[in-house]
Amino acid sequence: MADFVTYRVIHQTRYDYSDGVSGAHQLAHLRPRETDWQRVRMHHLTIEPPPSELSEATDYFGNGVMRFAVDTPHTALTVRAESVVEVHSHAPAMAAGPAWESAVASPGQWGADDEFDIVQFRLASPMVPLLPEAAAYARASFTAGRALPAALLELTQRIRNEFVYDSKATTVTTNVNEVLATRRGVCQDFAHLMISCLRSLGLAARYVSGYIVNRAPPGKPKLAGADASHAWVEVHCPGTGWIALDPTNGKVADTEFVTLGWGREFSDVTPLRGVVLGTASQALTVAVSVDPVQLRDSV
Amino acid sequence: MKDLLANYPDPQGRFDELLAAPTRPRAHWMRAMMELAATSPVDIRQRQAAAERHIRDSGVTYNVYADPQGLDRPWHLDVLPLIIAPDEWREIEAGIIQRAQLFNQVLADIYGSQSLLKQGLLPPALIFGQSGFLRPAYGMNVPGGIHLHVYAADLARSPDGQWWVMADRTQAPSGAGYALENRLIVSRAFPALYRDLHVQHVARFFATLRDSLMHFAPKGDGPTLTVLLTPGPYNETYFEHALLARYLGFPLVEGEDLTVRDGRIWLKTIGGLKRVHAILRRQDDNFCDPLELRSDSVLGVAGLTDCARRGTVLVANALGSGIIESGALLGFLPRLAEHLTGEPLRLPSIATWWCGEPAALEDALDQAANLVFKPADPIFQIEPVFGRDLDAAGLAALRKNLAAHPERFVAQELVHVSQAPVLEADNADHLSARGIGLRVFAVASPGGYAVMPGGLTRVASGHNVRVVSMQRGGSSKDTWVMSPGQVDASFTLLKSTVTADELQRVPAGIPSRVVENLFWFGRYEERCDDAARLLRLALNLKLQEDDDDENSIGPVMGLARAFGLLQDGDDADGALLAAATSEANAFGLAANLRALERVAFNLRDRMSLDNLRTINGLIRDPVINRTLSLSDTLAWLNRTVTGMMTLSGFALDGMTRDDGWRFLSLGRRVERLAFQCLALQVAFAHRADSGLTWLLLLADSSVTYRTRYMARPEWLPVLDLLVLDGTNPRSVMFQIEGIQSALLKLEVAYGACGSEQAGAAVKTLAGLNPARDLDPDNARLRGAIDALRDAAFTLNDRLTQRFFNHAQTASRAMLGV
Repeated sequence: MADFVTYRVIHQTRYDYSDGVSGAHQLAHLRPRETDWQRVRMHHLTIEPPPSELSEATDYFGNGVMRFAVDTPHTALTVRAESVVEVHSHAPAMAAGPAWESAVASPGQWGADDEFDIVQFRLASPMVPLLPEAAAYARASFTAGRALPAALLELTQRIRNEFVYDSKATTVTTNVNEVLATRRGVCQDFAHLMISCLRSLGLAARYVSGYIVNRAPPGKPKLAGADASHAWVEVHCPGTGWIALDPTNGKVADTEFVTLGWGREFSDVTPLRGVVLGTASQALTVAVSVDPVQLRDSV
Repeated sequence: MKDLLANYPDPQGRFDELLAAPTRPRAHWMRAMMELAATSPVDIRQRQAAAERHIRDSGVTYNVYADPQGLDRPWHLDVLPLIIAPDEWREIEAGIIQRAQLFNQVLADIYGSQSLLKQGLLPPALIFGQSGFLRPAYGMNVPGGIHLHVYAADLARSPDGQWWVMADRTQAPSGAGYALENRLIVSRAFPALYRDLHVQHVARFFATLRDSLMHFAPKGDGPTLTVLLTPGPYNETYFEHALLARYLGFPLVEGEDLTVRDGRIWLKTIGGLKRVHAILRRQDDNFCDPLELRSDSVLGVAGLTDCARRGTVLVANALGSGIIESGALLGFLPRLAEHLTGEPLRLPSIATWWCGEPAALEDALDQAANLVFKPADPIFQIEPVFGRDLDAAGLAALRKNLAAHPERFVAQELVHVSQAPVLEADNADHLSARGIGLRVFAVASPGGYAVMPGGLTRVASGHNVRVVSMQRGGSSKDTWVMSPGQVDASFTLLKSTVTADELQRVPAGIPSRVVENLFWFGRYEERCDDAARLLRLALNLKLQEDDDDENSIGPVMGLARAFGLLQDGDDADGALLAAATSEANAFGLAANLRALERVAFNLRDRMSLDNLRTINGLIRDPVINRTLSLSDTLAWLNRTVTGMMTLSGFALDGMTRDDGWRFLSLGRRVERLAFQCLALQVAFAHRADSGLTWLLLLADSSVTYRTRYMARPEWLPVLDLLVLDGTNPRSVMFQIEGIQSALLKLEVAYGACGSEQAGAAVKTLAGLNPARDLDPDNARLRGAIDALRDAAFTLNDRLTQRFFNHAQTASRAMLGV
């Protein structure tokens, strides 16, 4: 088996408005990011109604962003992102590693060092407060001297096992306290929770936005469009770099995951955020499909 | 002189601005003390009273969120200025210029190369953890390389006479406008002293601000336009926004007045979109753009950040400048000054340590009693803790909080601020003293930073109050910087800069939101008048019920019901009284006055103060929401009718006939047209059983009628007077002709907006034949009146569609996953 998989990803977002709106400004984080292990073979954004302005740029974290505006009145807005992405295996060995404490910045070590880019992922951010409760939850896995990869994997699996996936329990603005209290949420909530756990211990953790391939049960076809965008976590490990972990599924993220981009939290990499001009109420429909592409002759 | 100082308090170790030693004033105060000694206490009291009257009359206010007086708290000013000697000022000025330059360089670095962070001159964790660090502002193309256009510093003087910076204001500094207003008032209170001391003028500061924004702004798409962006009338310093906008000649706009097209910012005016080149903002960083900054903000302009990033608009101060306001940076300034400017910091900050550094934390804990602990970032919402107030338990709690989150705190030395002389409120014979702080201002110009010679002196509210704050109820003073030589008085802002070619007879473009408010001002004003007259008529009829030989009760009550003053089944007497004073009746007089007040409030920068005073006098009347006797209610209704006459007098006699006036006038006429038609419809319905006196009284036309006809009211002459007579300002014809002529004027500039419909209505009325049609049973007349009442509503909708729609596109943020 090849050590990479190629996917075709289609991410369609549709807003239906109860009354017409006179315009919209949008900011999209929908272009998969180029990394050492991920190649973007194709990416195309289709917007309906056609935007009056469109510009592409890179955000503070190095993710691709597209800004566009629609200045004609409309009753529905559709944004369809289509990408072909090649994902190479990049999961590190989780068997051994440095003691987790070695990855913690000692309090007050704020000076200049190679931590320059990492340091911002150790700090609280608007949606991810540092909480004593989160630290206490994490402590059970982060016992003194334990190897970082093992501790991380256990925390990832505990969140998977001890929290209920419930798409009705939370919204895009639910905070970590509530998730801890109700033990319910979706991928975004579990990612924020895990980041809060790790940052509360002094570790550097970032939020990753992307997709996961949805494996169909044996013998049944995979449901197109049933998938949603996904979120998971990357943790910095000295010597190894960033380790990707998915608390929703309790596993290390590897070739089943397509990365869009990363930031401190959801609000840095929201797939689509916008402002509409008008007072209409809106209904949001999102459909995502992630399908392996059979390349006729993979060289 | 002895007299003045009889009660003057001992500074108790603090620096005294006035006295070098007990009873011995400093040299630069001598002239002022002589003036005060030579002025009678009565005279001094009068000058203070005159200042207070000016403040009240010109509506100088400072909104305090938690204050029961709320939005209307008058500005407090002590007429004794703070006097500063020339050599001392030179030091302050040089220090402020250095700080402004330094901060501008730091901002350019944080949002650009970040080399200060990489070299360890600023801890990355300190910057990256600040809520004021705006990632979307990174890499922005800032015109002229200037992030910091306006800078303000809060200074205080320690016992040894040294000035220290207590706080830096870098995102949208307030206070310069109040300083200007204070100068206006105080220079009048002591004209001779002002002249003799050669006080430096502050006007040039504002001219430099205006000219520099123009200079640095990007160009294109017509004349360079700078706007002043305000969060709106509820902001604590809205008065100042309006004052500065007027003084600088910038349109005062709110977020919804602006829009983004083609990567540029435009002002939505009734004449279409006008390109905006520079925005002087009084809105905090995070609220400027719901698309890229705080998505829950409705105050900003969606897409502003991207325009700023591309450099198509100058934003002053640049987005992200607020990060400098964090006290956490202060401890690093001396090192940054050496590194960036090659010289030591001239004007030091009060000793401040960021507790995120372990060594600083230890020091801070060791001398906690001499320190105040404050949040390192406003988002932490920590109340300042004064170390010396803490007992053992309190100290332990503080230690625990600091250990848990050292990075959230700064520790700051306490300053015993200097005291300056003030007038006692109740005793002008003697001087007293209060703690003071001085806010000074700098503005970026092509030639470097320029400092306003003077500033806003803030006065603590009590003798021993240690926090000097306008939010906490303090007062203020003018600040007089003496000039070493003669003052160049030739300069004033407006004279030197507006040439004959630049005279504007038509404003650059009235924002759509403003004309909508003007239109509704007209409608509510008229509706209040209608309600008051109708209630007065109805209640007067009650008084003389027995001798009402005309049976007016039927039609008047019918009209009151149609107007909404009465509901079916109401106890008429009680309901009418309630409709006069209680806001519970949504169609009543009090509720309409409240609506009028709200609209006038939104027009605060456009309405003369007399308008606002008249409305405030009514809506603040103690009768509001109280139940009154019949005679008290009638007296109140008379006051209201007079008040509405006063307002319409202001509009008639005090407003230039521009498009704004036209919209106000359209509002009044549309409302009156609808009301007069309604009254006629009711009169027609009661034609068989009632007289017409009530109708003439309601239309304020009985005097005219009596002088013309000297007879009992009859249908033909009454209808002629109230429908067809274009010289009667209450007639239907007068309203519709006025509407037509206003629309024709608007159409010259803006294209068709309904004059043909109004014209057709005029024609229909003119086509009525008095002999044949002026009869309550005439179908042609009744059809015309029905059609005109409908026309009033259609016109309202057309104007809304055509001119106000821009203003009504409220924006909402949304997130997709």
